[in-house]
Amino acid sequence: MQTTTSTVQPDRAWRFDPELLRRYDRPGPRYTSYPTAPHFAEGFGEEDFRDVARRSNDDPIPRQLSLYVHVPYCRSPCFYCGCNRVITRDESRGRTYLDRLLREVAMVAPLFDRDREVVQLHLGGGTPNFLAPRLLGELVAGLGRQFSFSHALDRDFSIELDPRFVSPADIETLSAIGFNRTSLGVQDFDPKVQEAINRVQGVDETLAIIDACRRFGMRSVNVDLIYGLPLQTLEGFGRTLDTVVAARPDRLAIYGYAHMPRLFKAQRQIRDEDLPDPETKLALLELAVQRLGDAGYEYIGMDHFALPGDELARARREGGLHRNFMGYTTHAQTDLVGFGVSAISHVGESYTQNHRDLPSWEAAIDEGRLPLWRGLVLGTDDVIRAGLIQQLMCQGEIDTRQVERTWGIDFGEYFADALAALRPLQDDGLVQCPPGRIRVTPRGRALLRIIAMCFDRYLDNQGEGTRYSRTI
Amino acid sequence: MAEREYPGAVRGTPIADDGDEFTFCSTCAFSAACLSEGYDKSQLRDLHVLVEHVGPFREGDHIFREGDPFNAIAAVRGGTVKTYVNDASGREQVLGFFLPGEVIGLNAIASARYPCNAVALDTVMLCRFSFPMMATLASRMPGLQRHLFNLLSQDIGKASLLAGNYTADERLAAFLVLLSRRFAERGFSATRMRLTMARTDIANYLRLAPETVSRVLRRLQDEGVLRVDRRDLEILQPAVLGELAHHVLRD
Repeated sequence: MQTTTSTVQPDRAWRFDPELLRRYDRPGPRYTSYPTAPHFAEGFGEEDFRDVARRSNDDPIPRQLSLYVHVPYCRSPCFYCGCNRVITRDESRGRTYLDRLLREVAMVAPLFDRDREVVQLHLGGGTPNFLAPRLLGELVAGLGRQFSFSHALDRDFSIELDPRFVSPADIETLSAIGFNRTSLGVQDFDPKVQEAINRVQGVDETLAIIDACRRFGMRSVNVDLIYGLPLQTLEGFGRTLDTVVAARPDRLAIYGYAHMPRLFKAQRQIRDEDLPDPETKLALLELAVQRLGDAGYEYIGMDHFALPGDELARARREGGLHRNFMGYTTHAQTDLVGFGVSAISHVGESYTQNHRDLPSWEAAIDEGRLPLWRGLVLGTDDVIRAGLIQQLMCQGEIDTRQVERTWGIDFGEYFADALAALRPLQDDGLVQCPPGRIRVTPRGRALLRIIAMCFDRYLDNQGEGTRYSRTI
Repeated sequence: MAEREYPGAVRGTPIADDGDEFTFCSTCAFSAACLSEGYDKSQLRDLHVLVEHVGPFREGDHIFREGDPFNAIAAVRGGTVKTYVNDASGREQVLGFFLPGEVIGLNAIASARYPCNAVALDTVMLCRFSFPMMATLASRMPGLQRHLFNLLSQDIGKASLLAGNYTADERLAAFLVLLSRRFAERGFSATRMRLTMARTDIANYLRLAPETVSRVLRRLQDEGVLRVDRRDLEILQPAVLGELAHHVLRD
């Protein structure tokens, strides 16, 4: 939208071009990893994981650690959700899940040297606060016994919260446990939309949680919104944006709803005729981008925005932004160790994913085995391309000469296919290629996935049409 | 997309695979001494000095073990070899690391058996020389003899170098400076290198705790003296590193 981009620094916002977005609206991966998870192979087992862990300890300066814990349970199904989750009201399942989690931690932690500090911990789901605060406390204490938590001020201990099932008093407890960042699901405050997605959530209770996060010392609060939901309108979503922006969360994520009912059963509850048409969906995104820009939010990358004073926004400006399975972060490359059903680890130059169904994960732990499902060791080509995609996602540009120096390749020759694929995007003004650079333009910001896809060697011959959500 | 060749060795230890039946490898430990005496490679072969190119050994493969009968010394053509012994309580003691162009097995000359273990840290290629034949040849070639004595004294010097009472910073700096020199002597970069040895091996060799090795490296990185990315190390301020090392190296 010209009105927003003309009033802010050029690197701040998107240049919104509906025609362009329409033209490039096609399925594509989100590149929280490269190669993407569908390319992990089931042959990757316990010995492989032990080996990559050992090698990661052998580095002259072993990387610091990030921990991810997946809590699969939700009390009720949100119909839009494509996450790996289990719906139950039986709270006792939290206890048994935690017990197994701690056994998994006890098996995995000894594989990593104790001088490798944990600088990032993230709890995702599902609904992490399906576990009562007392259980969350046990979890963090258990992790703290097995790993060495960093005491640095910039350590990030974050948790995704469903505001419907958490109280301000719980926030105080979470803060005491050590959490210092929260992420709240909101999606849309419009009651009609909330009914259609089976997630009725009051404005006041949500704002009270944001307020409690501030009061009890959370360093940042993130709010997730979704556009493209059933029965969503510009008026309703506009009101939601006003309400959210007025609460000044430090970070905001605006996700596009990916309707893939064949893949995600819960989405079959959503009636096709209730979904906004592509024009409206784009208009909803445009509205969000405009409102956030007007309210002073800076664009971080992909679906993420932050206030200028937030660490992510500062890191983005200073080139210190990184991205892993948990999203954007200020922490340099860490080795990521995942726990719980479906959790993914990224250790050294490998990816490993746990069993994604609860019975297999439980059985493995009960038998004293690592609950690994599949994985992958990156080849040299994968490592090179993963680095490029990371640069696009975080810095918005690739230093091609640096790549040539690091890998001893001729960029133009090695990436001839990618550069050919980039050419139409260049013609459309999404990227510029001055000597030694490939640079994402403000017009291209909204289409990072499309640009990254040019460097994805695995995309050519597969039915990605059903596997990935559309890019807008 | 069709499969194509990807550069794999770029960031690995350089491999000198440019030698053949008639030409010495560019890193050869003996080529200069032999050529200066007027012997080319085919003549050495005729004298049965050159035994064979052997390998590749894969990471973790043993090249020889303590007590194995000694009959050959070997020059490293590619990769890194670690030598070590196990002490009475079974604990490993790292004796040294051998880079392309360097010779392993020299410490076996005094006895008929290898006094230590040698293991490949990555993909290792060797060039084995019959030691009895080489000793005979050396008696006819003063240059080769001198070269062998040099290698032997270097081998002894290396072991005693780090035995003094030095700080962790000094030891590590000396280790890196020596590595850098050894790479440079063979025509490789003096400032960008791949550390093929695990930090536990470096720590063991320098008689430091592994976490101390990392702590010192991290501090040197924070100070801008060097940059470490996984196994890749770049020396940004050689002079500063040299200053730190000079007590140990006495130069």
